[in-house]
Amino acid sequence: MKIGDHVQNLGLRVVTIQALAFILLTLLGIRLYYLQIVKGEYYSERAENQRVRLIPIPAPRGAIFDRNGTLLVDSRPTYNVVLSNEPLKSVNVNDRVDDYSRGLKIDRQFVVERLNLIKKQNDFETMVLKENVGIDDISWVESHLLEFPELRVELQPQRFYPLGTSLAHVLGYVGEISPKQLEDPEVKEKGFRPGDIVGKGGLEQYYDEYLRGKPGYRKVLVDSRGRVQSELEVVPPQSGQDLVTTIDYDLQMEAEHQLAISSTKRGVVISMDPNNGELFAMASAPSFDPNVFVNGSSTHEGRKQIAAYWQDEKRPLYNRAIQGRYPPGSTWKIPMSVGALQEGSITVAHSNMLCGGGITIGNKFTRCMGSHGSPTLDYAITKSCDSYYYHLGLKMSIEGIIKMVEEFELDKRTGIDLPNEKISQTPKTWMPYFLKKDGRWADIKTVYASVGQDTVQVTPISMLRAIASVGMRGKQYIPHFLKEFKAIGASGEEGGPNYFPGRASFGFQHAEPRLIELAPNQWDLVLKGMWGVVNGGGTAGSIRMTGWDIAGKTGTAQVASLGKDTGKNKDHAWFDSFAPAYKPEIAVLVLIENSGFGGSNAAPVAKAMYQAYIAKRPGGLAGGQEVAAK
Amino acid sequence: MVAILEKRDLRDFDWLTALLAVAIAAFGVWQIHNALPTESYWSKQIYGIGIAVVAFLVVSFTDYRRLIDSAPVFYVIGLVMLFLVLTPLGVQVNGQKAWLKLPLVGQFQPSEFVKIPTVLMLAKYFGARKPGTLSLKEMIIGGAIFAGPILLIMLEPDAGQAITYFPILAAMFFLSGIRVRYVVLAVVAAAILVPAAWTVGVKTGKIKRYQEERILAIIEPDKVDPRGYGYHTIQSTITVGKGGLSGIKGETETSQSVLKFLPEPHTDFIFAVTAENTGFIGCVSLLLAYALLLSRMIAGAREASDRAGMLVIMSIVCAMVFQIFMNIGMALGVLPVIGVPLPLMSAGLSAILSTFVAIGFVISVKLRRFVN
Repeated sequence: MKIGDHVQNLGLRVVTIQALAFILLTLLGIRLYYLQIVKGEYYSERAENQRVRLIPIPAPRGAIFDRNGTLLVDSRPTYNVVLSNEPLKSVNVNDRVDDYSRGLKIDRQFVVERLNLIKKQNDFETMVLKENVGIDDISWVESHLLEFPELRVELQPQRFYPLGTSLAHVLGYVGEISPKQLEDPEVKEKGFRPGDIVGKGGLEQYYDEYLRGKPGYRKVLVDSRGRVQSELEVVPPQSGQDLVTTIDYDLQMEAEHQLAISSTKRGVVISMDPNNGELFAMASAPSFDPNVFVNGSSTHEGRKQIAAYWQDEKRPLYNRAIQGRYPPGSTWKIPMSVGALQEGSITVAHSNMLCGGGITIGNKFTRCMGSHGSPTLDYAITKSCDSYYYHLGLKMSIEGIIKMVEEFELDKRTGIDLPNEKISQTPKTWMPYFLKKDGRWADIKTVYASVGQDTVQVTPISMLRAIASVGMRGKQYIPHFLKEFKAIGASGEEGGPNYFPGRASFGFQHAEPRLIELAPNQWDLVLKGMWGVVNGGGTAGSIRMTGWDIAGKTGTAQVASLGKDTGKNKDHAWFDSFAPAYKPEIAVLVLIENSGFGGSNAAPVAKAMYQAYIAKRPGGLAGGQEVAAK
Repeated sequence: MVAILEKRDLRDFDWLTALLAVAIAAFGVWQIHNALPTESYWSKQIYGIGIAVVAFLVVSFTDYRRLIDSAPVFYVIGLVMLFLVLTPLGVQVNGQKAWLKLPLVGQFQPSEFVKIPTVLMLAKYFGARKPGTLSLKEMIIGGAIFAGPILLIMLEPDAGQAITYFPILAAMFFLSGIRVRYVVLAVVAAAILVPAAWTVGVKTGKIKRYQEERILAIIEPDKVDPRGYGYHTIQSTITVGKGGLSGIKGETETSQSVLKFLPEPHTDFIFAVTAENTGFIGCVSLLLAYALLLSRMIAGAREASDRAGMLVIMSIVCAMVFQIFMNIGMALGVLPVIGVPLPLMSAGLSAILSTFVAIGFVISVKLRRFVN
């Protein structure tokens, strides 16, 4: 058959088909040229981007030690179940809720929250679903690998607080950065991402920047489902700096023990070196267990415990030492005395004031607890004569009291290295309010303010700082916990992608102490009174120790008016002190809420603290003894 | 069979076409290995090619005219197989009943094989007609022969496979003297009706969401969800582009297919694997090999001793060209994703066997070009 012979132009038709075939193949060739030659590099990069992934390696946080090297906080390796976003892309996450909560025994509500959060993240983000898992959970995840490719088990350092409820307020705790925090542009700028662990409260928060390390990463090859095929590069993390605090573990334990055996089990014990502001102990009772916050938020029990902490009317979560505001009662008389001498309301030679058993303001008689005749300042301190200070306060006038407040910086934060410190409230705070409300400042308010009641509400830390400065004859230091941050060496090769520069060691930046100016004999007079409180038949005579002269001041601060001051409205018991009286090495403040008299409820706690201190003191009592003047 | 081979048969045997087909298939085995080195698809494919070559030789040395004479028998057997697919003997995969599992024979895809009886049946009918322009009656009868298998395949449903049948009918009509004005009319009608059908189909929901997405992925690749139905197209495009000029040179550990970014790398997207591994050079070589193979086949058609032989070759050529273009066009992201295998390359026993049998017919026709 010769097809060309046919009438229908068969030959031409075959050629047409052949031509068409070649045209189609040529079109494919052109497209190939475009994709491979023109855009080859672009697609090569796209392919690389989807198969290479950076998995962050969390850096261990710095540990926290006491001043003698006792470990207070550490990070220990734990296994976490983490959730990856990528494999979940095509999954209706609601289907997973029951599986996860049943399989991993976690709160259903928490699973829902986690799933909603991860869905909002970028493709390759991961998020912890359950922390600190045991072998049961690990094997559950492993056995459901095909069913739930989005889950995997990762080894991560986890914060651990071996002391439990001890020191909890000072140490704080860590947790995932909150979505609210992340909205802060300043936080965002530092490169924080959801799921990052940050300090929350206490030293963990205050020194977060230094405690936190620099995370490393693993560069891995992943398949389309995000499963790791091989490791391409590892940059190890640089751990955070270790923090050596000024805390003395033994003193801290004694402080907590004393609070635990106190009548109401609520209160504050703070101990400080008055010579530099280093805090030996800070206990606030009741307390909480920071571990609950670290690994409890994913379990039902943990969440219940956290909720219970928040709802507890005894408020275990707040640090009474820096956040509690209490009327200081008679302990207020010490700064009052200093203020009066400084302002010349009294002199060393003529420091007598009438007691008279009380004072009448208008038609209201405010009584003194005793009848002290016309005592001198030191005697008024020793015996805690209220009426002396009623008259003294009126003589100083409210302006004079405010001047004293400013002199002791009681109108400011102490500057302690803990977050969320509250400012004390004093007549200075209230003055504008009452001037607006009543048009004047009533004398009775001055009388009350003279004995640390009514408009005077101070934080224990600010009160301790004030009393300690009296022991130091006017030198006011900033109370603090930082003794030293340990240095961390550089890691990786300089200039390389794995290079982290070293971080230097540093201590607390001591500013020049603020000085309250007073003549030496004026200080002597005040100190004599304080010495007498314990050693001269004063209100805390019961805690007198041989060979260890304590100077202090008791306080019994009224919570409710006389007659209603029983049960939960009982007076707060205070004892502010330092020792040895004329060459102080340690200051101790005790506040037992609603327990009654300061001399009998708070002072013995201070004694126990001094005993604990002496037990550790090189040479015991020898060399610490100071013969009291006169 | 071999015993009755004559010397002349061996002399006239089209070695180039045969070797070209085997060479492309061997190249395909290499790519299947590249696609999934740890799986056994590539070794199964070698086994498949072995069977296919035997079948190819048998068909080559059989007189195609005798086979065309028996076309109605093959055609009926084909229809029965396609019917059986729809019965419980059929195996359902991904919502399609395209496979038949028979004792001894095993599992295969009848729609791949039925192309040949369809070609033979149409060639028998159109080969016997008198010269002259194609009449309406002839078109109706041809259409009816064609409709049998197509309807059964649509019932599976396997629209992708059904589409590959149309070039056969088109070739038959075109080479049986259909008026050029009808051809023009058909092209114009298609140009109008396809977009119209698209619009109506999307609006009435006749075109399923995934089908719509797959086509949108071609028109607007940047706008579709890269993880949705556009995923195949986007990943295939990336894979092809990544190959660059000369491919990834054996770095299969990080290849798109090994990391499972490229779906169906050994079957539907074997061309993307080829592009990634051998680059522009390899791909163009493959396209040239196809062009050469097709040219040899068309040359055979020109020399065919009768009209039916010519029709057999040309309809096979058209079906192959169409499949090559559909498959590679899909891999290059210019055509929607339709599960059409790449002839001689894609892994799959049914496909490789039916392609070699089809080429066997071409050789058979060529062998007998001087007879009478």
